[in-house]
Amino acid sequence: MASPHSSAEAGRELRRIVRINEEIKSVVSTAFKINLMAMNAIFLAKRAGQSALGFGVLSNELRRFAGDLQQQMAGLRDATYGSVATVTALLNQSRISRLLERTRIEAQGEGKALIQALASRRGETTLADNDQQMAALNRRLSHLIADTAQLVELGSVLARSAKIEAAYGGGFSTSLMQVSSDFERTIGEIQRSFENLTKNQPEDVVA
Amino acid sequence: MKTAHAIYEDGDHKWLAMVRDSSRPDFLIDTNEYLVISDGDALLLDPGGSEIFPAVFSAVSTGFDPRRIHKIFASHQDPDVISSLSMWLEFNPGIKCYLSWLWQSFVPHFAGQADTFVPIPDNGMDIVVGARRLQAIPAHYLHSSGNFHLYDPKAKILFSGDVGAALLPPAEDGLFVEDFDRHIRHAESFHRRWMGSDKAKRDWCARVSALDIDMLCPQHGAIYRGADVARFIDWFSRLDVGVLKG
Repeated sequence: MASPHSSAEAGRELRRIVRINEEIKSVVSTAFKINLMAMNAIFLAKRAGQSALGFGVLSNELRRFAGDLQQQMAGLRDATYGSVATVTALLNQSRISRLLERTRIEAQGEGKALIQALASRRGETTLADNDQQMAALNRRLSHLIADTAQLVELGSVLARSAKIEAAYGGGFSTSLMQVSSDFERTIGEIQRSFENLTKNQPEDVVA
Repeated sequence: MKTAHAIYEDGDHKWLAMVRDSSRPDFLIDTNEYLVISDGDALLLDPGGSEIFPAVFSAVSTGFDPRRIHKIFASHQDPDVISSLSMWLEFNPGIKCYLSWLWQSFVPHFAGQADTFVPIPDNGMDIVVGARRLQAIPAHYLHSSGNFHLYDPKAKILFSGDVGAALLPPAEDGLFVEDFDRHIRHAESFHRRWMGSDKAKRDWCARVSALDIDMLCPQHGAIYRGADVARFIDWFSRLDVGVLKG
Protein backbone atom coordinates (compact mmCIF):
# COMPACT_ATOMS: atom_id res chain seq x y z
CA MET A 1 0.00 0.00 0.00
CA ALA A 2 1.25 3.46 -0.85
CA SER A 3 1.58 6.09 1.85
CA PRO A 4 -1.82 7.47 2.92
CA HIS A 5 -2.04 10.95 1.40
CA SER A 6 -5.61 11.80 2.26
CA SER A 7 -6.97 12.04 5.79
CA ALA A 8 -9.50 9.29 4.99
CA GLU A 9 -6.64 6.95 3.96
CA ALA A 10 -4.61 7.96 7.02
CA GLY A 11 -7.67 7.34 9.21
CA ARG A 12 -8.06 3.84 7.70
CA GLU A 13 -4.35 3.21 8.28
CA LEU A 14 -4.67 4.29 11.91
CA ARG A 15 -7.64 1.92 12.42
CA ARG A 16 -5.60 -0.92 10.82
CA ILE A 17 -2.74 -0.28 13.27
CA VAL A 18 -5.19 -0.21 16.18
CA ARG A 19 -6.53 -3.64 15.07
CA ILE A 20 -2.93 -4.97 14.97
CA ASN A 21 -2.28 -3.54 18.42
CA GLU A 22 -5.42 -5.20 19.82
CA GLU A 23 -4.24 -8.61 18.47
CA ILE A 24 -0.79 -7.98 19.97
CA LYS A 25 -2.36 -7.29 23.37
CA SER A 26 -4.31 -10.54 23.19
CA VAL A 27 -1.19 -12.56 22.17
CA VAL A 28 0.88 -10.97 24.96
CA SER A 29 -1.65 -12.04 27.59
CA THR A 30 -1.81 -15.58 26.08
CA ALA A 31 2.01 -15.81 26.03
CA PHE A 32 1.99 -15.02 29.74
CA LYS A 33 -0.53 -17.83 30.26
CA ILE A 34 1.75 -20.28 28.38
CA ASN A 35 4.65 -19.30 30.62
CA LEU A 36 2.65 -20.26 33.74
CA MET A 37 1.31 -23.41 32.07
CA ALA A 38 4.87 -24.45 31.13
CA MET A 39 6.05 -23.92 34.70
CA ASN A 40 3.24 -26.14 36.03
CA ALA A 41 4.07 -28.73 33.37
CA ILE A 42 7.73 -28.77 34.48
CA PHE A 43 6.67 -29.48 38.11
CA LEU A 44 4.26 -32.17 36.93
CA ALA A 45 7.00 -33.82 34.81
CA LYS A 46 9.33 -33.76 37.82
CA ARG A 47 6.70 -35.53 39.91
CA ALA A 48 6.11 -38.07 37.15
CA GLY A 49 9.86 -38.79 37.20
CA GLN A 50 11.49 -41.17 34.73
CA SER A 51 8.32 -41.80 32.68
CA ALA A 52 7.93 -38.08 31.79
CA LEU A 53 11.53 -37.15 30.92
CA GLY A 54 10.63 -36.27 27.30
CA PHE A 55 7.59 -34.28 28.44
CA GLY A 56 9.82 -32.36 30.88
CA VAL A 57 12.26 -31.41 28.10
CA LEU A 58 9.38 -30.19 25.93
CA SER A 59 7.88 -28.19 28.85
CA ASN A 60 11.22 -26.42 29.26
CA GLU A 61 11.20 -25.64 25.53
CA LEU A 62 7.64 -24.34 25.72
CA ARG A 63 8.64 -22.06 28.61
CA ARG A 64 11.53 -20.71 26.53
CA PHE A 65 9.09 -20.32 23.62
CA ALA A 66 6.76 -18.23 25.83
CA GLY A 67 9.70 -15.95 26.76
CA ASP A 68 10.78 -15.57 23.11
CA LEU A 69 7.18 -14.85 22.11
CA GLN A 70 6.86 -12.11 24.71
CA GLN A 71 10.08 -10.54 23.42
CA GLN A 72 8.86 -10.66 19.81
CA MET A 73 5.55 -9.11 20.84
CA ALA A 74 7.41 -6.25 22.58
CA GLY A 75 9.19 -5.59 19.25
CA LEU A 76 5.82 -5.64 17.43
CA ARG A 77 4.37 -3.23 19.97
CA ASP A 78 7.28 -0.83 19.39
CA ALA A 79 6.74 -1.07 15.64
CA THR A 80 3.02 -0.30 15.92
CA TYR A 81 3.81 2.63 18.24
CA GLY A 82 6.13 4.02 15.55
CA SER A 83 3.41 3.52 12.94
CA VAL A 84 0.84 5.36 15.06
CA ALA A 85 3.26 8.31 15.40
CA THR A 86 3.86 8.37 11.63
CA VAL A 87 0.18 8.08 10.71
CA THR A 88 -0.67 10.84 13.20
CA ALA A 89 1.91 13.07 11.53
CA LEU A 90 0.39 12.15 8.14
CA LEU A 91 -3.09 13.08 9.37
CA ASN A 92 -1.70 16.43 10.46
CA GLN A 93 0.04 16.89 7.09
CA SER A 94 -3.11 16.06 5.19
CA ARG A 95 -5.09 18.62 7.24
CA ILE A 96 -2.48 21.27 6.41
CA SER A 97 -2.64 20.29 2.73
CA ARG A 98 -6.44 20.56 2.74
CA LEU A 99 -6.29 24.05 4.32
CA LEU A 100 -3.60 25.17 1.87
CA GLU A 101 -5.74 23.96 -1.02
CA ARG A 102 -8.71 25.96 0.30
CA THR A 103 -6.43 28.99 0.70
CA ARG A 104 -5.17 28.57 -2.88
CA ILE A 105 -8.76 28.58 -4.15
CA GLU A 106 -9.81 31.61 -2.05
CA ALA A 107 -6.71 33.79 -2.39
CA GLN A 108 -6.13 36.11 -5.29
CA GLY A 109 -3.13 37.71 -6.95
CA GLU A 110 0.17 37.44 -5.14
CA GLY A 111 -1.36 35.62 -2.17
CA LYS A 112 -2.52 32.83 -4.48
CA ALA A 113 0.93 32.55 -6.08
CA LEU A 114 2.61 32.41 -2.64
CA ILE A 115 0.34 29.62 -1.43
CA GLN A 116 0.74 27.72 -4.70
CA ALA A 117 4.53 27.88 -4.32
CA LEU A 118 4.32 26.74 -0.68
CA ALA A 119 1.97 23.87 -1.54
CA SER A 120 4.23 22.59 -4.32
CA ARG A 121 7.35 22.85 -2.09
CA ARG A 122 5.56 20.87 0.61
CA GLY A 123 4.27 18.40 -1.97
CA GLU A 124 7.76 17.60 -3.19
CA THR A 125 9.26 17.04 0.23
CA THR A 126 6.58 15.75 2.58
CA LEU A 127 4.83 13.30 0.25
CA ALA A 128 8.11 11.62 -0.71
CA ASP A 129 9.25 11.57 2.94
CA ASN A 130 5.93 10.14 4.08
CA ASP A 131 5.97 7.45 1.40
CA GLN A 132 9.40 6.30 2.50
CA GLN A 133 8.64 6.43 6.22
CA MET A 134 5.36 4.58 5.95
CA ALA A 135 6.78 1.93 3.60
CA ALA A 136 9.73 1.32 5.96
CA LEU A 137 7.45 0.98 8.98
CA ASN A 138 5.10 -1.37 7.14
CA ARG A 139 8.06 -3.51 6.00
CA ARG A 140 9.41 -3.71 9.56
CA LEU A 141 5.97 -4.61 10.95
CA SER A 142 5.48 -7.21 8.25
CA HIS A 143 8.88 -8.86 8.90
CA LEU A 144 8.24 -8.95 12.64
CA ILE A 145 4.84 -10.56 12.07
CA ALA A 146 6.36 -13.16 9.69
CA ASP A 147 9.20 -13.97 12.15
CA THR A 148 6.77 -14.28 15.04
CA ALA A 149 4.41 -16.45 12.99
CA GLN A 150 7.33 -18.87 12.43
CA LEU A 151 8.04 -18.89 16.16
CA VAL A 152 4.37 -19.67 16.84
CA GLU A 153 4.57 -22.53 14.33
CA LEU A 154 7.48 -23.93 16.38
CA GLY A 155 5.33 -23.58 19.52
CA SER A 156 2.58 -25.55 17.81
CA VAL A 157 5.05 -28.37 16.93
CA LEU A 158 6.28 -28.41 20.55
CA ALA A 159 2.70 -28.66 21.85
CA ARG A 160 1.93 -31.56 19.47
CA SER A 161 5.16 -33.36 20.55
CA ALA A 162 4.26 -32.81 24.20
CA LYS A 163 0.92 -34.51 23.52
CA ILE A 164 2.74 -37.55 22.05
CA GLU A 165 5.16 -37.64 25.02
CA ALA A 166 2.18 -37.46 27.43
CA ALA A 167 1.01 -40.83 26.12
CA TYR A 168 4.20 -42.37 27.62
CA GLY A 169 3.62 -40.82 31.03
CA GLY A 170 2.51 -44.00 32.77
CA GLY A 171 0.31 -43.23 35.78
CA PHE A 172 0.60 -39.49 35.03
CA SER A 173 -0.50 -39.93 31.42
CA THR A 174 -4.00 -38.46 31.92
CA SER A 175 -2.72 -35.36 33.70
CA LEU A 176 0.08 -34.86 31.18
CA MET A 177 -2.40 -35.29 28.32
CA GLN A 178 -4.65 -32.67 29.91
CA VAL A 179 -1.72 -30.19 30.18
CA SER A 180 -0.50 -30.83 26.62
CA SER A 181 -4.04 -30.38 25.25
CA ASP A 182 -4.20 -27.03 27.05
CA PHE A 183 -0.90 -26.08 25.37
CA GLU A 184 -2.24 -27.08 21.97
CA ARG A 185 -5.48 -25.13 22.42
CA THR A 186 -3.71 -22.02 23.70
CA ILE A 187 -1.12 -21.99 20.92
CA GLY A 188 -4.01 -22.53 18.50
CA GLU A 189 -5.49 -19.25 19.84
CA ILE A 190 -2.19 -17.48 19.15
CA GLN A 191 -2.12 -18.90 15.62
CA ARG A 192 -5.59 -17.50 14.96
CA SER A 193 -4.42 -14.10 16.25
CA PHE A 194 -1.54 -14.25 13.77
CA GLU A 195 -3.89 -15.10 10.93
CA ASN A 196 -5.74 -11.88 11.83
CA LEU A 197 -2.47 -9.94 12.02
CA THR A 198 -1.50 -11.16 8.55
CA LYS A 199 -4.94 -10.17 7.25
CA ASN A 200 -4.36 -6.65 8.58
CA GLN A 201 -1.14 -6.24 6.61
CA PRO A 202 -1.09 -3.95 3.57
CA GLU A 203 -1.17 -6.25 0.52
CA ASP A 204 2.07 -5.04 -1.04
CA VAL A 205 4.21 -5.71 2.05
CA VAL A 206 2.89 -9.13 3.08
CA ALA A 207 6.01 -11.28 3.35
CA MET B 1 -14.91 35.15 2.56
CA LYS B 2 -13.45 37.78 4.91
CA THR B 3 -12.69 41.28 3.81
CA ALA B 4 -9.88 43.55 4.98
CA HIS B 5 -10.81 47.07 6.10
CA ALA B 6 -8.30 49.81 6.90
CA ILE B 7 -9.57 51.17 10.22
CA TYR B 8 -6.58 53.47 10.77
CA GLU B 9 -4.05 54.89 8.35
CA ASP B 10 -1.33 57.46 8.90
CA GLY B 11 1.42 57.23 6.30
CA ASP B 12 2.95 53.78 6.56
CA HIS B 13 1.28 53.15 9.93
CA LYS B 14 -1.92 51.14 9.40
CA TRP B 15 -4.44 48.94 11.14
CA LEU B 16 -6.32 46.44 8.98
CA ALA B 17 -9.38 44.59 10.31
CA MET B 18 -10.26 41.25 8.73
CA VAL B 19 -13.92 40.66 9.55
CA ARG B 20 -17.17 38.82 8.70
CA ASP B 21 -16.40 35.54 6.98
CA SER B 22 -19.57 34.87 4.99
CA SER B 23 -18.35 31.43 3.90
CA ARG B 24 -17.70 30.35 7.49
CA PRO B 25 -19.79 27.34 8.57
CA ASP B 26 -22.33 28.13 11.32
CA PHE B 27 -20.69 25.84 13.84
CA LEU B 28 -17.53 28.02 13.95
CA ILE B 29 -17.65 31.22 15.98
CA ASP B 30 -16.98 34.33 13.89
CA THR B 31 -13.74 36.16 14.73
CA ASN B 32 -12.02 39.43 13.86
CA GLU B 33 -8.34 39.52 13.04
CA TYR B 34 -6.26 42.69 12.99
CA LEU B 35 -2.98 43.51 11.31
CA VAL B 36 -0.81 46.37 12.57
CA ILE B 37 1.60 47.63 9.93
CA SER B 38 4.45 50.05 10.38
CA ASP B 39 7.50 50.69 8.21
CA GLY B 40 6.98 47.46 6.26
CA ASP B 41 6.88 45.37 9.45
CA ALA B 42 3.61 43.77 10.57
CA LEU B 43 2.07 42.16 13.63
CA LEU B 44 -0.99 39.94 13.24
CA LEU B 45 -3.33 39.99 16.25
CA ASP B 46 -5.24 36.84 17.23
CA PRO B 47 -4.83 35.17 13.81
CA GLY B 48 -7.79 32.82 14.42
CA GLY B 49 -8.42 29.11 14.18
CA SER B 50 -6.91 26.76 11.58
CA GLU B 51 -10.21 26.36 9.77
CA ILE B 52 -10.42 30.05 8.96
CA PHE B 53 -6.78 30.39 7.88
CA PRO B 54 -7.77 30.39 4.17
CA ALA B 55 -10.15 33.31 4.72
CA VAL B 56 -7.73 35.30 6.90
CA PHE B 57 -4.73 34.72 4.64
CA SER B 58 -6.72 35.67 1.55
CA ALA B 59 -8.06 38.85 3.18
CA VAL B 60 -4.62 39.85 4.52
CA SER B 61 -2.94 39.31 1.18
CA THR B 62 -5.35 41.66 -0.57
CA GLY B 63 -4.01 44.54 1.54
CA PHE B 64 -0.47 43.52 2.48
CA ASP B 65 2.37 41.19 1.48
CA PRO B 66 1.94 38.27 3.95
CA ARG B 67 5.67 37.48 3.71
CA ARG B 68 6.28 40.60 5.79
CA ILE B 69 4.29 39.30 8.76
CA HIS B 70 7.05 38.36 11.19
CA LYS B 71 5.13 38.56 14.46
CA ILE B 72 1.88 37.24 15.86
CA PHE B 73 0.21 38.39 19.06
CA ALA B 74 -2.09 35.94 20.85
CA SER B 75 -4.30 37.52 23.52
CA HIS B 76 -4.70 34.07 25.09
CA GLN B 77 -4.61 30.36 24.32
CA ASP B 78 -8.03 29.58 22.86
CA PRO B 79 -8.26 27.61 19.58
CA ASP B 80 -10.29 30.35 17.87
CA VAL B 81 -7.42 32.72 18.75
CA ILE B 82 -4.26 30.85 17.85
CA SER B 83 -4.77 27.33 16.42
CA SER B 84 -3.93 28.67 12.94
CA LEU B 85 -0.36 29.20 14.19
CA SER B 86 0.48 25.85 12.55
CA MET B 87 -0.54 27.26 9.16
CA TRP B 88 1.28 30.58 9.61
CA LEU B 89 4.43 28.68 10.59
CA GLU B 90 4.06 26.50 7.48
CA PHE B 91 4.05 29.72 5.51
CA ASN B 92 6.84 31.40 7.46
CA PRO B 93 8.70 29.17 9.97
CA GLY B 94 10.49 32.24 11.39
CA ILE B 95 7.35 33.92 12.76
CA LYS B 96 7.52 34.85 16.46
CA CYS B 97 4.44 34.49 18.62
CA TYR B 98 3.98 36.85 21.58
CA LEU B 99 1.74 35.46 24.30
CA SER B 100 1.43 35.18 28.07
CA TRP B 101 4.28 33.19 29.65
CA LEU B 102 1.51 31.09 31.18
CA TRP B 103 0.69 29.53 27.81
CA GLN B 104 4.15 29.10 26.34
CA SER B 105 4.20 25.35 26.99
CA PHE B 106 0.51 24.83 26.09
CA VAL B 107 0.21 26.59 22.74
CA PRO B 108 3.09 24.53 21.19
CA HIS B 109 0.50 21.70 21.19
CA PHE B 110 -0.94 23.61 18.21
CA ALA B 111 2.45 24.29 16.60
CA GLY B 112 5.85 25.88 17.07
CA GLN B 113 9.24 25.26 18.65
CA ALA B 114 10.64 26.75 21.87
CA ASP B 115 12.13 29.69 19.96
CA THR B 116 8.78 30.45 18.23
CA PHE B 117 7.38 31.98 21.43
CA VAL B 118 8.14 35.28 23.10
CA PRO B 119 6.64 35.03 26.60
CA ILE B 120 4.94 38.18 27.91
CA PRO B 121 5.45 38.68 31.67
CA ASP B 122 2.35 39.23 33.83
CA ASN B 123 2.80 43.00 33.97
CA GLY B 124 3.01 43.28 30.17
CA MET B 125 5.71 44.47 27.80
CA ASP B 126 6.30 46.61 24.74
CA ILE B 127 6.21 45.03 21.29
CA VAL B 128 8.00 46.89 18.53
CA VAL B 129 6.40 46.89 15.08
CA GLY B 130 8.47 48.85 12.60
CA ALA B 131 8.69 52.38 13.96
CA ARG B 132 5.89 51.85 16.49
CA ARG B 133 6.08 50.63 20.06
CA LEU B 134 2.87 48.86 21.11
CA GLN B 135 1.98 47.92 24.67
CA ALA B 136 0.76 44.51 25.86
CA ILE B 137 -1.79 45.48 28.53
CA PRO B 138 -2.60 42.94 31.27
CA ALA B 139 -6.18 41.60 31.08
CA HIS B 140 -5.75 38.46 33.17
CA TYR B 141 -8.88 36.46 33.96
CA LEU B 142 -10.77 38.33 31.20
CA HIS B 143 -11.46 35.61 30.39
CA SER B 144 -8.22 33.61 30.36
CA SER B 145 -5.92 33.40 33.38
CA GLY B 146 -3.03 34.61 31.20
CA ASN B 147 -4.58 37.30 29.00
CA PHE B 148 -3.29 40.44 27.27
CA HIS B 149 -4.73 43.23 25.18
CA LEU B 150 -2.65 45.40 22.87
CA TYR B 151 -2.57 49.18 22.87
CA ASP B 152 -1.22 51.36 20.10
CA PRO B 153 -0.65 54.84 21.65
CA LYS B 154 -0.12 56.53 18.29
CA ALA B 155 -3.24 55.13 16.62
CA LYS B 156 -5.11 55.23 19.96
CA ILE B 157 -6.46 51.76 19.32
CA LEU B 158 -6.91 49.09 21.96
CA PHE B 159 -7.23 45.51 20.73
CA SER B 160 -9.33 44.04 23.54
CA GLY B 161 -9.57 40.33 22.74
CA ASP B 162 -12.78 38.87 24.17
CA VAL B 163 -13.60 42.03 26.14
CA GLY B 164 -16.18 43.96 24.13
CA ALA B 165 -17.08 40.85 22.13
CA ALA B 166 -20.62 40.55 20.84
CA LEU B 167 -22.31 37.65 19.10
CA LEU B 168 -24.14 39.55 16.40
CA PRO B 169 -27.11 38.35 14.36
CA PRO B 170 -26.59 38.47 10.56
CA ALA B 171 -28.66 41.65 10.14
CA GLU B 172 -26.54 43.59 12.66
CA ASP B 173 -23.02 42.69 11.65
CA GLY B 174 -21.57 46.06 10.68
CA LEU B 175 -17.88 46.83 11.16
CA PHE B 176 -18.53 49.51 13.81
CA VAL B 177 -21.04 49.79 16.64
CA GLU B 178 -23.71 52.20 15.39
CA ASP B 179 -26.28 52.00 18.16
CA PHE B 180 -24.61 51.21 21.50
CA ASP B 181 -27.78 50.30 23.43
CA ARG B 182 -28.95 47.97 20.70
CA HIS B 183 -25.49 46.46 20.24
CA ILE B 184 -24.68 45.84 23.88
CA ARG B 185 -27.61 43.43 24.26
CA HIS B 186 -25.63 41.01 22.09
CA ALA B 187 -22.61 41.39 24.38
CA GLU B 188 -24.26 41.10 27.77
CA SER B 189 -24.71 37.35 28.31
CA PHE B 190 -21.29 36.70 26.76
CA HIS B 191 -19.57 38.98 29.27
CA ARG B 192 -21.58 37.72 32.24
CA ARG B 193 -20.63 34.12 31.48
CA TRP B 194 -17.08 34.41 30.07
CA MET B 195 -15.59 37.09 32.31
CA GLY B 196 -14.97 35.22 35.53
CA SER B 197 -13.61 37.79 37.98
CA ASP B 198 -15.21 41.00 39.16
CA LYS B 199 -11.89 42.16 40.67
CA ALA B 200 -10.05 41.56 37.40
CA LYS B 201 -12.80 43.44 35.57
CA ARG B 202 -12.51 46.47 37.88
CA ASP B 203 -8.68 46.45 37.58
CA TRP B 204 -8.95 46.35 33.80
CA CYS B 205 -11.53 49.15 33.69
CA ALA B 206 -9.26 51.34 35.85
CA ARG B 207 -6.22 50.51 33.71
CA VAL B 208 -7.79 51.21 30.31
CA SER B 209 -9.68 54.28 31.52
CA ALA B 210 -6.28 55.91 31.88
CA LEU B 211 -5.48 55.27 28.21
CA ASP B 212 -6.41 57.57 25.37
CA ILE B 213 -8.53 55.29 23.19
CA ASP B 214 -10.30 56.16 19.93
CA MET B 215 -11.19 52.59 19.00
CA LEU B 216 -11.72 49.47 21.07
CA CYS B 217 -11.39 46.42 18.82
CA PRO B 218 -12.71 43.10 20.12
CA GLN B 219 -12.03 39.65 18.66
CA HIS B 220 -15.75 39.04 18.02
CA GLY B 221 -18.36 41.53 16.84
CA ALA B 222 -18.25 45.23 16.02
CA ILE B 223 -15.63 47.86 16.87
CA TYR B 224 -16.43 50.57 19.46
CA ARG B 225 -15.28 54.05 18.54
CA GLY B 226 -15.45 57.57 19.90
CA ALA B 227 -17.79 58.01 22.86
CA ASP B 228 -18.84 54.34 22.65
CA VAL B 229 -15.43 53.34 24.05
CA ALA B 230 -16.01 55.11 27.38
CA ARG B 231 -19.64 53.98 27.27
CA PHE B 232 -18.50 50.38 26.97
CA ILE B 233 -15.95 50.65 29.81
CA ASP B 234 -18.61 52.19 32.04
CA TRP B 235 -21.16 49.51 31.09
CA PHE B 236 -18.62 46.75 31.73
CA SER B 237 -17.56 48.20 35.10
CA ARG B 238 -21.17 47.98 36.27
CA LEU B 239 -21.88 44.53 34.85
CA ASP B 240 -22.23 41.59 37.20
CA VAL B 241 -19.77 39.02 35.78
CA GLY B 242 -18.96 35.40 36.56
CA VAL B 243 -22.63 34.47 36.37
CA LEU B 244 -23.75 31.11 35.03
CA LYS B 245 -27.19 32.31 33.88
CA GLY B 246 -28.76 35.68 33.24
